[in-house]
Amino acid sequence: MTIAAALNAAHHQLMDADQNILVIGEDIVGGAGLDGSELGGVFGVTAGLAQRFGKSRVIDTPISETAFVGMAVGAAMTGLKPIVEVMFCDFMGVCFDQIFNQAAKARFLSNDRVAMPLVIRTTMGAGDGSGAMHSQTLHGMLSSVPGLEVVCPSTPADAAGLLKSAVASNNPVVILEHKGLYGENADTDPDLPPVPLGKGRIVSEGGDITVVAVSAMVQVCQLAAKALAARGIGVDLIDPRTVFPLDKELILKSVEKTGRLLVVDEGPLCGGFADQVIAAIATDGYRFLRTAPQKLTPPQTPVPYGRLLEADWMVDENSVTKKIDEILYEN
Amino acid sequence: MKQLLDLYAKASFIRAFELHIAVASEAGHAPGLVHLCCGAELAEVAICAGLEGAKDQITGSHRSHGLALAMGVDPVAVAAEILGRKGGLSKARGGTQHLIAPENGFLASNGIVGAQVPIAAGAALTAKTLGSCAIAATFFGDGAANQGAVLETMNLAVALELPLLFVLENNGLGQSTSADYASGGANLLARAESFGLKTAAMDGHNGANALRVAAEMVEFVRASGKPAFIEARIPRLSGHYFGEKADYLAHHSADDPLEDLANQLGAEASAAVRAQAEQAAHNAVADALNMGEVAPADLARVQP
Repeated sequence: MTIAAALNAAHHQLMDADQNILVIGEDIVGGAGLDGSELGGVFGVTAGLAQRFGKSRVIDTPISETAFVGMAVGAAMTGLKPIVEVMFCDFMGVCFDQIFNQAAKARFLSNDRVAMPLVIRTTMGAGDGSGAMHSQTLHGMLSSVPGLEVVCPSTPADAAGLLKSAVASNNPVVILEHKGLYGENADTDPDLPPVPLGKGRIVSEGGDITVVAVSAMVQVCQLAAKALAARGIGVDLIDPRTVFPLDKELILKSVEKTGRLLVVDEGPLCGGFADQVIAAIATDGYRFLRTAPQKLTPPQTPVPYGRLLEADWMVDENSVTKKIDEILYEN
Repeated sequence: MKQLLDLYAKASFIRAFELHIAVASEAGHAPGLVHLCCGAELAEVAICAGLEGAKDQITGSHRSHGLALAMGVDPVAVAAEILGRKGGLSKARGGTQHLIAPENGFLASNGIVGAQVPIAAGAALTAKTLGSCAIAATFFGDGAANQGAVLETMNLAVALELPLLFVLENNGLGQSTSADYASGGANLLARAESFGLKTAAMDGHNGANALRVAAEMVEFVRASGKPAFIEARIPRLSGHYFGEKADYLAHHSADDPLEDLANQLGAEASAAVRAQAEQAAHNAVADALNMGEVAPADLARVQP
């Protein structure tokens, strides 16, 4: 099952089980209102939902993120469980007030008298020539907002399972789905069991270095780990899955074993997820570290457009192995 | 006349409450600045009178003390929240600009100009989805009328056919900037009409007019399930916040709607109502002040 198919199946299961779940967004039904020709979202994740559950629960909106994300906030405060899709995380710029002032703060400001069972699904990531305003990776920025929970799945099971936990949560949860991973295929339990928020996953085990990565960087690091294993270098690869709250314990346990930490991330060089992980582990796991913790990210520029430029900008398997070699052999 | 007397009683209570908050603020009892609603009372009470608290939900701006009271929220809990006291609605986590009482139909007020408007669309969507015959209303000023969140929600509410009543309270001033200067087209009702909204003008100085327009528009939204828009002309009788050096208000005509209504009701009847309101407001704010401030240990901390 692919990530797109797992997400689609999870939506069907969730909406079937709970009448109060609504799906809201741009072109999530689509097809210019012509029945039978639905688009089902630009990546097909919401395909078939309108036919099955009707257009009162699967709501196409005007291109008006502030209004429909705000509407979802109000709906969540009054008893519904909206899953709202922001087509690309880059578009959060136009509705950020509703995300970081309204959704994120309502529970706190009410002293927990209102719940915020709001899920915002959005896409992230470069690699498909979409240019600087359809390719960003904003999970680190979002996770710095008190009140938000942020997840970045890398497998079909995690995508579906984290969606289920997000819907069940009384906190607003942002799910960032990587555009390049929708076709990612893996054997998956068809029941798509929930995956707890805040719990990471050990992707592969090894004793020489701890590598932390989420989303598409997990796949990149898996390839690197395989190549390094052939040379006798063991990588403990950890996918936290949830960016906030971070499963610090899992990473600390690994660093205690390996003494080395590399965070590989598609987010920014400065102030992003990589810096958050390094700060957390350097603070709480300093005694375990044999070398300075390191990060590998794209350069601190917007995502460029040209094929060669974009490929050079991105972190790939070779840059990961090179970085790990540097860490291991310089120390 | 009974309806007008009732309107006057509730409006007078809100006025007296705000003036007691001003006194408490001046004495240093409020943690931050307070934005008083003096002048808006008749319009706000008239509209809330047609709503059923808890079933219907409203959202308001930073200037919403009176709206919360008009929806029937406990005045002591409102005062305590404004003054950062233990008995506050949210135990002082929110404060004057973040009053939250959905149990009374006061879903939330907001510190961001215009942000409360899409949130009310969400309450309207819930009402529509659950088939509860409830409606939502959202109150915002002429300053917010130029915010994208407001304009977008006017469009969205029509496109999705939401039972949402927009209430533009036009007091002619966005903070200290005049609406004439800040609005590209001065006719804000025509702007709303252009979105396909049913519209009505309300004279916030005229109690009978306010009651009639409010009843008509609330009934329209409830019966049709469609959105509608009221522009209420109101004065702003106090500064943007209490204590502001508001020289600009000198250029701003400011007849007091409560005085007009008092004259209509007669000196004796209105004086009795005012005395009662004054006593009740005094008691509410005094009770709140007696509650003590919330200690830091009461704040649940979330650590990464």
